Order: sequence, then structure tokens, then C-alpha cells
Amino acid sequence: MSTRADELINEYLDRLEEGLADFPPTRRRELVQEISAHIAEARASLENEDEASIRNLLDRIGDPADIAAEAAGPPAPEAPLPPPPAKTRGGGWDVAALVMLLVGGLIVPVIGWFIGLALLWTSETWSTGEKLLGTLLVPGGLALPLFLLTIGTSVNSCGGPVGGPITCTGGNGVGSAAAAVLVIALLVVPIAVVAYLARRRSQVAAPA
Amino acid sequence: MVATQDALLAQMRRGTLQYCVLSLLADEERYGFDLVRGLAELDGMVTSEGTIYPLLSRLRRDGLVESNWQESPSGPPRRYYRLTNAGRAALDAFRLEWRRFRDAVDHFVERKDER
Repeated sequence: MSTRADELINEYLDRLEEGLADFPPTRRRELVQEISAHIAEARASLENEDEASIRNLLDRIGDPADIAAEAAGPPAPEAPLPPPPAKTRGGGWDVAALVMLLVGGLIVPVIGWFIGLALLWTSETWSTGEKLLGTLLVPGGLALPLFLLTIGTSVNSCGGPVGGPITCTGGNGVGSAAAAVLVIALLVVPIAVVAYLARRRSQVAAPA
Repeated sequence: MVATQDALLAQMRRGTLQYCVLSLLADEERYGFDLVRGLAELDGMVTSEGTIYPLLSRLRRDGLVESNWQESPSGPPRRYYRLTNAGRAALDAFRLEWRRFRDAVDHFVERKDER
């Protein structure tokens, strides 16, 4: 009878070995060693070593496939999935969005800025708040202040005969100072906002 | 309904089994067969004894238990497992959380029973 028992046990261990084929040899050896030791202990405590007892013993240990599945690890309720990559679109589009926002209006008046806007809002890099910032604080990009600057200089046209006294027409002192501040603000704020968005982008693209 | 309940129980068992193993090792070192029999004494905790060994192997690789070989009075040497400091800390932390969780569930489940 004991040869039949050995046969069943060897068969079981072979199946276990097979189930663990994908594991590193050291882990496979450890598991097979532990389980054959378990079988030996359980077998020694059997009152009657008949085929049915051996089969029951092996059934209690379980299907080798289950043991292999357990060795492969739980179906990961403990380990959360890594977050999906932050951007699905090429990083070049984000750069294009920022460039078009800032100077798109200069390349193609008005439309260029809207292209930048569209690229900004379709990007997954920035949050909605950041997109709003980019929309509201960069109106027209640098095109608007430069446009105002041209108007300003044409209104406040200064001139005079070469070598003669310089005369300026239009625009009082206070008004032009306020206009200058406004124009500078319109130049600085968009650049600052775009710089901020660019920094946010590099943070999102390369998390620590 | 029964199928999902079975799945839930299997999941709860799976999630808590490692702490039962750590608890069994809290006071004394044990070898595999002894551990498995200790768990099997409680009905429903272990459905297939063999799955304890991959668990032990994982606990060892995670540094929660350590093992060494000792001669057996009968038969070949046995691999004995014992808790590490990290294992003890993990067990203590789990005990605290488990009591809180168990009390919260009892609060609802048991009250319903009394009616």
C-alpha cells in the first residue's frame, strides 16, 4: 500500500512543481520542501495509511494550482495600481499651447491666441483653475500690450524738426504714466502666468 | 447572493489570515505543520492547508517573520518561524485597527440581532 501512497504523493508534488514553474528556483524549492515536509508530518500522524487517507490528506493541503496562485500573490487589493501617466498627449503640444498663448496673437492676429487657448484647454497637464488663469490673465498674449503700445505712441506722437525743439501732442502726464503701468502690467502678467504654467507642467511631467 | 457572500468571506479570511499567523507566532516559534494545525483548529480559517506556505514565505521576505532550521525528534529537520520586531509591530498595529473595526461592525450587526 505504501507504494501507492508514495505514488500519489509524488504525483501531487510533481503537479506542484509544475504549477510553480514560473517562480525563481529558490522560491520553488522552498515551497516544495515545506509542503513535502508537511505531507511527511501529516502522513506520520495517520492511523491507517490507506489510499483514501492519503487522498484526504492531499485534499486538505489543496490544489497545487491554488498554492501556486497564492504564491503569485493576492490579486492586489493591498497594492493600489500606480496612477496612470499624467499626460496622454505628447509634451510638445503643451509647449505649443504656451507659446501660442503668449505670442500666437503676434504670429496670426487674434486667431493665434485662440489656437493657444484651444491647446491649453484640451491638455490634461493643467488643472481647470490653472487653465482659467491662463485664459483670463493672458488675454491676447503679448499681442494686446504691444498693440496698445503702438496706439499709445501714435497718439502721444512726439516729433519736431531735426535739431529743433521736441514737441509732443496729446496725452497728459498722468494719463500716459497710467497707460505705461497698464502696458507694463499687460506685458509682465502674461509672461509670469505662462512661466508659472510651464513650471507646473514640468512638475506634472516629471513627478519626484 | 450566496456566491457573493462566499467571495466576501474568502476575502476577509485572506485579508486577516496573515495576522492570525503572526498571532500564533507571538508567544512561541512554530514549524509549518504545527502552525497549520493551529489554524485548522478554528473552523473556516483555512480551506487549503498548503496555501499557508506561500503566505509564510511572503511574510519572511517582507521581514515580518524569520526562520531557522532545527532538528526534529522524529524525521528530518524542521523550519521554525518566529516573529521579528517588524512583525510584532505590524501585529500590534493590526490589533488596534481590528478592534476598532470589529466594534464598529458589531455595533450595527449585533444590535439588529437583539430585536
